[in-house]
Amino acid sequence: MSPPMARSSPLLEVRQLEVVYNHVATAVQGVSLEVADRQIVAMIGTNGAGKTTTLRAISGFLPAEDVAITDGTISFDKRPLAGRLPHDISRRGVVLVPERSKLFDTLTVQENLHFNVTRRRREIRDKVFDYFPRLGERTSQTAGLLSGGEKQMLAIGMSLVCEPKLLLVDELSLGLAPIVTEEIMGILQNINRQLGLAMLIVEQNAAAALRVASFGYVLEGGRVVFKGPCAQLMEHQDIKEFYLGGAEGKTRSYRDLRQYARKRRWWG
Amino acid sequence: MELLVSILVLGATHALLAAGIVIVYKASRIVNFAHGELAIVGAYVFYSAGLITHGQSLLLTVLATAAISALFGVAIYVALMRRLVGQPTFVAAMVTIGLAIILKAAIVVFWQSKSVGINLTRQTLYSFPSGGRLTSVDVITIGCCIVFFAALFAFFRHTRLGRQFRGAAENPLLASQRQVNVNLILALAWATAVFSATLAGVLFGSRSMLSPQSTIIGLSGLTAALVGGLDSLRGAVIGGMLVAAATYLTARLIDPALSEAVPFAILLTVMIWRPWGIYGTPEELNRV
Amino acid sequence: MFSGTPYLRVSYAETNRILPEPYQRVLVAAIAVAAIVLPAFGNAYLIYLLNLTFLAIIGSIGLNLLTGYCGQVSLGHASFLAIGAFVTAILANRYGAPVWQALPAACLVGAAVGFVVGLPALRFRGIYLAITTLAMHYAIIFILTTYQANFGSSATAGISVPAPALGPYEINGGRAWYYALLLISSGVVLFSLNLSRGYIGRAWVAIRDRDIAAASVGIPVARFKLLAFVCSATLAALAGGLGAYFMGVVTVEAYTLELAIIYLAMIIVGGMGSTAGAVLGAIFMTLLPFGIERAFEALPHAWRLGTTSYGLQEAATGVAIILFLLFEPKGLIEIYRRIAEYFERWPFRYRELQPAERR
Repeated sequence: MSPPMARSSPLLEVRQLEVVYNHVATAVQGVSLEVADRQIVAMIGTNGAGKTTTLRAISGFLPAEDVAITDGTISFDKRPLAGRLPHDISRRGVVLVPERSKLFDTLTVQENLHFNVTRRRREIRDKVFDYFPRLGERTSQTAGLLSGGEKQMLAIGMSLVCEPKLLLVDELSLGLAPIVTEEIMGILQNINRQLGLAMLIVEQNAAAALRVASFGYVLEGGRVVFKGPCAQLMEHQDIKEFYLGGAEGKTRSYRDLRQYARKRRWWG
Repeated sequence: MELLVSILVLGATHALLAAGIVIVYKASRIVNFAHGELAIVGAYVFYSAGLITHGQSLLLTVLATAAISALFGVAIYVALMRRLVGQPTFVAAMVTIGLAIILKAAIVVFWQSKSVGINLTRQTLYSFPSGGRLTSVDVITIGCCIVFFAALFAFFRHTRLGRQFRGAAENPLLASQRQVNVNLILALAWATAVFSATLAGVLFGSRSMLSPQSTIIGLSGLTAALVGGLDSLRGAVIGGMLVAAATYLTARLIDPALSEAVPFAILLTVMIWRPWGIYGTPEELNRV
Repeated sequence: MFSGTPYLRVSYAETNRILPEPYQRVLVAAIAVAAIVLPAFGNAYLIYLLNLTFLAIIGSIGLNLLTGYCGQVSLGHASFLAIGAFVTAILANRYGAPVWQALPAACLVGAAVGFVVGLPALRFRGIYLAITTLAMHYAIIFILTTYQANFGSSATAGISVPAPALGPYEINGGRAWYYALLLISSGVVLFSLNLSRGYIGRAWVAIRDRDIAAASVGIPVARFKLLAFVCSATLAALAGGLGAYFMGVVTVEAYTLELAIIYLAMIIVGGMGSTAGAVLGAIFMTLLPFGIERAFEALPHAWRLGTTSYGLQEAATGVAIILFLLFEPKGLIEIYRRIAEYFERWPFRYRELQPAERR
C-alpha cells in the first residue's frame, strides 16, 4: 500500500488520533489519515467503527459533549486544528455536511442557502443552483418539508457557500434510495473535478463511496485496518466479502467473521 | 378611546418585556426568570444616570443606559450562561433565579430601596372628554414599542445576521459548522434582551414609582410571552396587549385589588388551554 | 450513596442497604450521639437555629422527592408549606384542635393540594411545569392572603397558634422542640431513604431520566408523578404545620416565592436526588444567612450600614446558588463523595483520562 500521493504535505493530516467518551469509552484508537488537495478520500466502516467520531474530532465538535481527544494531532494546511472552536474550523475551510439535522428546518430553502451569503459569495450560490437545479424550483419552501434527497442536496449547497477547501461528508446515503445516493455522489465527483475541492466521504455504503473516491480507509473498532487506492480496495477479498457483498466461494460463518475482526484488530 | 390608549400603553410595556424573554428563549431555550429584575434595575440605572448628568442631556442619559444595559447582557452571557453549556436548561433557569435575587439585592444596596420616579417630559397632549389624559410619555411608550419591534422584525427577516440568529436558535451545532460564531449570537441575544428589559423598565418607571416590589412586572412579561408563545416574537406583541387588556379591564370594571391576580390567572388558563401559546409551536413543550 | 467502592458486594440486599459500609455506620452513630447530647452544651440561640434547620430538612426532603428523584421542577413548594401552616393554624386557633388532629389534617390537605398541583405534570415537562407551579403558587398565596385579610381584627398580625400539647405534656421551649423535631426529621429521613431505594424510588428516577423509556418498561408514569407530588406536598405541609406551631404565629407574608427558591437552592446546593444531599443543603442554606450576619458583625463599622448589609446578605443567597450551579452542580454530596472515595481507595487512586491539550 503506497501513501495517497507523492506530494510533500497533504491538505488534512490526522496522526494517531485517540478519542475517549466520558473519560472511559475509547471510540477511536490511533487513527491516521491524509487527504491531499483536490482528492476524494473515502472512509468506510460499519456502525461504531469510529467514522463519525473521527469526523467530529476534525470539525471540532467534541468538547461540548464530554468527549475528549486524548492523543494525536490533526492539522489542516499545516496548521493544528485540535482545540479550535467549530466555527473557527469551518472558517478555515473545513466544512462538514453532518449525518442528521443538516438543515435549518424552519427556514426556507432560500434562507438556508443565504445563511452566510455575502456579496462576494453570490457567484457560488448561483453555482449551487447549477449543480442542483431541483433546488431552484423550491426556493420558498420550508427546508423541513423537502424530501431526503433534496435535503442532502441543499445541505451540500449550503456547505459550498461556505467556500470550503475540504468538504467532510458524513453518511450521505443515510435514508436515501440507492439511485439518489448515486446521483448525489456523481454530483460530488463533478464538483470535485470542476472546483478542485478536496473531500472526505464517510460511508457505510462502501460501494457508493469507493466508486467516486480515489483513496480509501477502512475503519474497524476505532482503528484503520486497511488503506489503499480505491481500485485496489475494491478488489480486496475481505472487503468484497464484508463491505461490498457477493464474494465468491463459500459463505463463511459468523464465527469466522468474529475471528477476522479480531485478527485485524491485533495484527492489522 | 381612553380605554384603548391605556391598554395600548400598558400593553407596549408588557410586549417589550415579553420580547426580551422570547429572544433569550429562542436563542438558548432558557426561560429568564430575572427579567423583571433586569427591567427595574435598568430603570434605576437610568435614574442614576439622569442624576449624574443633572438632567441636562437626555440623549446622553439614554445612550449611557443603553450601552450599560447591553454590556450587562453580554456580561451575563459570558460570565454565567456560557458556562452552562451541556447542562439541562432548568439549571440555567435556576441561575437566572439566582441572578434575580442578586439584582433585587442590588437595588437595596445601591439605591437603598428608595422609591423613585423617572421624569421624562410629561406634558398633556390631549384631554379626553371622560377626564383621562394622553401624555407625551404615553406617546413615547407606544412609539418606542413600535420602533423596537419594527427594527427587530426587519433584523430577523432581512439581514444575514438575523438569518444566522434564527438558524442558530434552531440548531446551534449546525450554525457553528456553517461559520457562525454561536457565542456571539447568544451574547447578542442577551444584550438585546437586557436592553429591551431596560427600555420597558424606564417606560414603566416614567409612569409609576420604582421600588424593589416593581420587579413583579417580570411576571406580567412572562405571562405575556407565554400567552403569545415563548418562541414567537409576534406572540409577544399580541400576548402583551392581551395581558394588558385583561389586567386593565379587571381593575376598571371589577376590582383593582383583583387585578394583581390577573397575570397568574391568565397564566394558569393558558397553561390549561393552550400551553404553547397563540403563535408558539407545540413541539416546544418537549424541547425543554 | 453509590460510590465507586472497591468493596465486593455479593448480593442485591447488600448493595441496597441504607448504610453499606462499616465506616458509614460509625459516622451515623457518631452524628446521632452528638445530636442527642448537644442540647446539654449548646446555648439557646444555637438550639433555635438547629430547630429551624430541622424544619428545613423536612421541607427539603419533601422537595427532593419531587424534584431530585422524580425530576419534576416545582416552584410551588412555598405554597405547600403555607397550606400546611394555615390548615394547622386555622384548626388550632379557630377550632381548638389538638396537635394530633391538626397536623395529620394539615398533611391530608397538603396531599390533596399536591395532587391538584401535580395534575399539570401529566402534560408538561421541565420549564413549562415550573411555570405552571409558579402560577399555582401565586394562586394559592392569593387565596390565603384574602383569607388572612378577612380573618379577623388581627389581619396583619396573622393567625396565632397555641403551643402543641400531647396529653399533659406541652412542647414548649427550645430543648423540647429540639428533641421533637430531631425525632420527626429523623423519621422523615428514614422514610425518604426507604422510598428511594425501593420500587417507588427507582420508578421515580426512571421517570426523571426519561419518562418515555420508563413508560415503555411498564412504569405507570402518571400515577408515579402524582405520587411524587403528593408525597412532596405532604412532607411540605408537615414542615409548614410544625413551623406554625414552632413560630406560634402564621402570616402569609412568610411564604414568598423566594422561600420556594431557597428550598430549590437547598436541594441544588446539597445535591439533587440524594437524601443526604437534601439534609446537607438544608443545613447549609438555613445557616448561611446567620453565618453571613455574623461575618458582617465582624466587619468594620462602615460596612454595617443597615439596609446595605441586609442587601448584601440577600445577595449572598443568590451568589451561593449561582456558584454551586456553576462550579459544583452535583452539590455538597459530591464533595463528600469525593472525599469518601479517596479514603475508600486509599492508598490507590485512579486518574481520569485527560484531553490532550491539557496534558
